[in-house]
Amino acid sequence: MVDPTTRIIQSDQRYKSAPLSDQFLNIPFTQNMKELIEFDRTVDISLITVFDEERQASPTFRPITKFTLLFENAYTGSTTYVPFRDNLYYTNAIQNAVSYYPSGNVPSVPPQPINSTVPWDGFPQYPEFDFIRTDSRVSGYTFGNGKHLEFKPVSATTYNWSHYVSYPYLNVYQKKMYAIEPNTQISWSWSASDGIPFVITEGSDKTIGFIRFKCPVPHGLSTGQFVLLSSNYNGNSFFQVSRLGNGGSGSEEYIFNIQNVGYTGTTFITLNQGTFKRVLDATNSADTISQYYVRKHKILTDAECAVLVNAGYEKNIYNDKTKCEIKSLTPNQRKRTSVKEGSRSYTLSFNCDVKIDNLRDNQNRPLTQLFFTTIWRGYFGWTQKLKQGWDFNTFLKDGKPQIWWDQNNADSNASVSQSQYFTFNNPTPFFYNNFYTTGDTLDGDYCEWNNYEQLERVISTYQHKITYNNDWFKLPSDNLTTTNQYGYFYQPHNPIQLRVFSDYVEESNSENIVGIPDYAYYSTLISSFRWRDLYSYGFVSSDGVGVDYPFLNNAHYPFVSTIFRITPENYNIPSDYATPINPSQIDTYQGGKVPFDINTIAEPLIDGCD
Amino acid sequence: MDATRIKIVKDDINKFINVPVNMQWDFMGRDDSITDYEVDAVNQVIGGPQDFEIIRFAHNIFLKDNTEIKHVFNFYDYSQPITATTVGNWSPNYLNNGFSVQDVYYYSKSFTKSFFKLDFYDSPNDTVQNLYLSIILPTQQGLTQTATLSPTLPPVEIKKPEMILDYIGSDKEGFFIYWLRSRDFIDVNTFYMSAKFFDAITGVFKQMTNVKQTLLLPGKFTFNNSDYKYYKVDLDYSNQTYEVFSTSTGLRLGDNNSPITWYEYVNP
Repeated sequence: MVDPTTRIIQSDQRYKSAPLSDQFLNIPFTQNMKELIEFDRTVDISLITVFDEERQASPTFRPITKFTLLFENAYTGSTTYVPFRDNLYYTNAIQNAVSYYPSGNVPSVPPQPINSTVPWDGFPQYPEFDFIRTDSRVSGYTFGNGKHLEFKPVSATTYNWSHYVSYPYLNVYQKKMYAIEPNTQISWSWSASDGIPFVITEGSDKTIGFIRFKCPVPHGLSTGQFVLLSSNYNGNSFFQVSRLGNGGSGSEEYIFNIQNVGYTGTTFITLNQGTFKRVLDATNSADTISQYYVRKHKILTDAECAVLVNAGYEKNIYNDKTKCEIKSLTPNQRKRTSVKEGSRSYTLSFNCDVKIDNLRDNQNRPLTQLFFTTIWRGYFGWTQKLKQGWDFNTFLKDGKPQIWWDQNNADSNASVSQSQYFTFNNPTPFFYNNFYTTGDTLDGDYCEWNNYEQLERVISTYQHKITYNNDWFKLPSDNLTTTNQYGYFYQPHNPIQLRVFSDYVEESNSENIVGIPDYAYYSTLISSFRWRDLYSYGFVSSDGVGVDYPFLNNAHYPFVSTIFRITPENYNIPSDYATPINPSQIDTYQGGKVPFDINTIAEPLIDGCD
Repeated sequence: MDATRIKIVKDDINKFINVPVNMQWDFMGRDDSITDYEVDAVNQVIGGPQDFEIIRFAHNIFLKDNTEIKHVFNFYDYSQPITATTVGNWSPNYLNNGFSVQDVYYYSKSFTKSFFKLDFYDSPNDTVQNLYLSIILPTQQGLTQTATLSPTLPPVEIKKPEMILDYIGSDKEGFFIYWLRSRDFIDVNTFYMSAKFFDAITGVFKQMTNVKQTLLLPGKFTFNNSDYKYYKVDLDYSNQTYEVFSTSTGLRLGDNNSPITWYEYVNP
C-alpha cells in the first residue's frame, strides 16, 4: 500500500548543487479500483442458498423409474421341443392329449404308447416376457434332467430384457422409412430428411375448393402455416395451409388442406404422393423451415449397472391370469399351475452415476432428457432377429404385418447384435440379443425440429418388434409368410425429464444482452439470436413448467413412472378351446381373430393344483 | 478523470500533497478471489456435499456360478444342560429353542417376532470395534423339516433355521448387503459378521458362535471372542459383490456344501 503522506522535496534541496526545476507528479487515477462497501465481505450462510448452489452445480444423476408392465399374451402356437412343450399354457389340451396318448391316458397306469411327434398348443407362459424371471426351479426346464438351460439366479433380471440409460446425441437425416396407408393401398418410401409423406385424397381433378392431403403421421401444421412440397406448381413449392382435417374426429392431426385456386395440370391430382416440410413464413423459409430426422441414442450405462427389483406392494390393475394344468392333460404327466399374464411392477435404478456435464443433446443443447432404454434379450431363444420401426409401422395392412417387418428387410434390423447356442445336440440354434455397452448407439424417435420455434416434436415413436422363431414355436399360418409373422411391439426409449426449456422463445442481438447461450440460433430474418431459456433445477413457472425432484448426496434423483407395454400386433386366440370336429379345419380354427377372455372358461372344481 | 497531471510550481517552501490512496478502495478482480474464499470458508464451516448413497452387494458366485448363500443356525438341546463337565448337542431346529410344533407351523407371535440378527463390525476386537450395519433374517424364511402336529393328523412341514438366500425366490431377505457407494467418508470393505437370535419367547438375544461350544478354547466359557464370534466378510467394489470367509481357516464359505454355520452359545 502507498503511504498517504508522500513528501515532495524542493528540487534544489535534494542534494548539494541540485538545480531548481519544476516538478510534476502523475497521479494514476485509473479505473482499476472500485469502492469497497462496508460489510460487503460479511456473508451470512444461508443453507437454502448453499443447497441451491450445490444443486445447480451438480452434474450427477441417479435416475429411477417404476415400470408398470402391461403385457397381453395374444398368440397361441405349438411346439414339439420338449422343455418348451411341457411348460406352455395349454389351449388345446384335450385334443393334444388324445393325439399324444393314442391308446388313452388312464390315471392309474402310465400311458403307453406316446406319440412324441404331436405338437402341443398353447401360449408361452408369462415368465417368458417378465422383467424378472422367477421360474428358476422348474424341473425339466430350468434345472434337472432334460432342462433347456441351467437357470442362474444372478441373471434373473437379464434373461428376457436388458435396461440402460441413454440420451439422444445425433440427428440421422438419411434414415430410410416406409409407411403404408391401410385403406388406399398407397405406400411411401422416403428418407427422414425428406419431411412428412402425404397422399392427395381430394385433388384438383375433383374441382372442389380445396386440395386435401392425408399423412400417415401427425403433420404438426397449423392453419396459416406453409408447406414446402416435394413437387412444384409452375416453379412454386410453397403453399399455405387453409384448413385442417376433413370433419372426422381427430382428422386435424393427419389431414391438411390448401386452397384450390384453380390449379390445372397433374401436380395436385388425386392419389398423387410426395413429401412436405413445414414452413412458418414462406418469405423467410431459410429460418423457418422444419428439419426432419431420426434421433440417434448413445448408451450411458452398461447392463450390469441396472438394478431391477420388485416394486413393493404394487401390481397393475389387471390380475394374474393363471390356470391349473391337469396331470392327465400334460405331456409329462405333471400337474402344475401355468401363468398366462402377470401383474407385477418393478423399480429400476442404477448402480452407476450418470454425469451429464460434458453431454450435449442432438440439437447441441445442454442435456434435458435421459431415456430408460429397454431392449429385448430373449436369452431362452424362442424369438428371432429383433426388428425396428416406428409407430406408423405398427398398423396392420389387410390384417397382416406390413412388409417393413419382414425378416429379410435389412432396413428394419435393430442394431443390437445377436448370438446363438445349441442344446441336446440339436442342429437348430437358439438366438438371443447381446447386451449393449457404454458408448453403443441405436436409433430413436422420428422427430421434427424448427430453428425459429426452437422446438423439437416427436412425430412417431421408435418401436421394436419381437417375433417367435418358427423353428421352436410355430404360429398358425394365418396366410402369413414365415418371415413376416405377428409379433409384439414395445417402445424401447422412455424419457425422464432432467430440466426444461422455457415455454417462450427469447430473442435478442448480442449487443443488447449478456450471456446468450451457445445453442442460440441466429435468425437472418430478424438479425437476432433466438433461444429458449433453460430453467434451473427446482424452478417451476406459474404455468407448471419446470422440474423439482430430490437432490441429496450431491446428486439429482429424478423419478418417473413408466408404463411399459408389450403390445400384440393382432390376436390369434381361438374362440374357445374345444376341438374342431374336422381336424382339417384346425388352421382355420386357430386363426380365428377373436380377442377372448379365457378366464371365462370354467375351471374344474377340484383340479389337483389346490 | 481528466486531472491526471498536476503541475507544482517551484517556490521557497516545501510543499506536500496528500494523495488520497486510502483503503476504501480495492483492486478489481479481487472480488473473484473473495468469492472463492467465501466458498472455501463456507465449506470449512458447514462442510461440502457428501455422498452417503448406498449400493447393494450381492453374494459373489461360488462354484458352478451359483450365487446362493446358506446360513445354518444351530440351537442347543437343553434336555442336557451344559455344565463344566457335560455338554449336549446342537441342531438346526427351532424346537430346541423352546418353540412348539404348533408355534412354528401356525406362525405364533413368539415365532414370527423372533429373528436372527447379523451384525457387521469393522474389527473382531471387542474393545475397538464399531458396529456399522446389521441384517435381519426373519424366521419365516428357511428350509423345512417334517414334524408331527398331532398324532391324529398327518405330518406337516415346519420351518427350520437353515436359510438359502439368493437373488430370487421366497428367501432373499438378507441376501444383499447395502453399504456406502462412496469410500470417501468411511472406507471399510472388510467386516466381521456376528450373529444373534432374538428369542421373542423370553425377549432376550442369544449370542451365537462359529463353532460348537465344546470346541471353544481355552474353555467353553472362557474364550477369545475375536476367534469364535465372527466370520469375515469382504466387499468387492469392482463387481459389487461380497464373499464370506472363516476367520480361523481363511477358506471361503457360504454355498450349499460349506454353509455359514452358527451355534447357540449357552451361558454357564
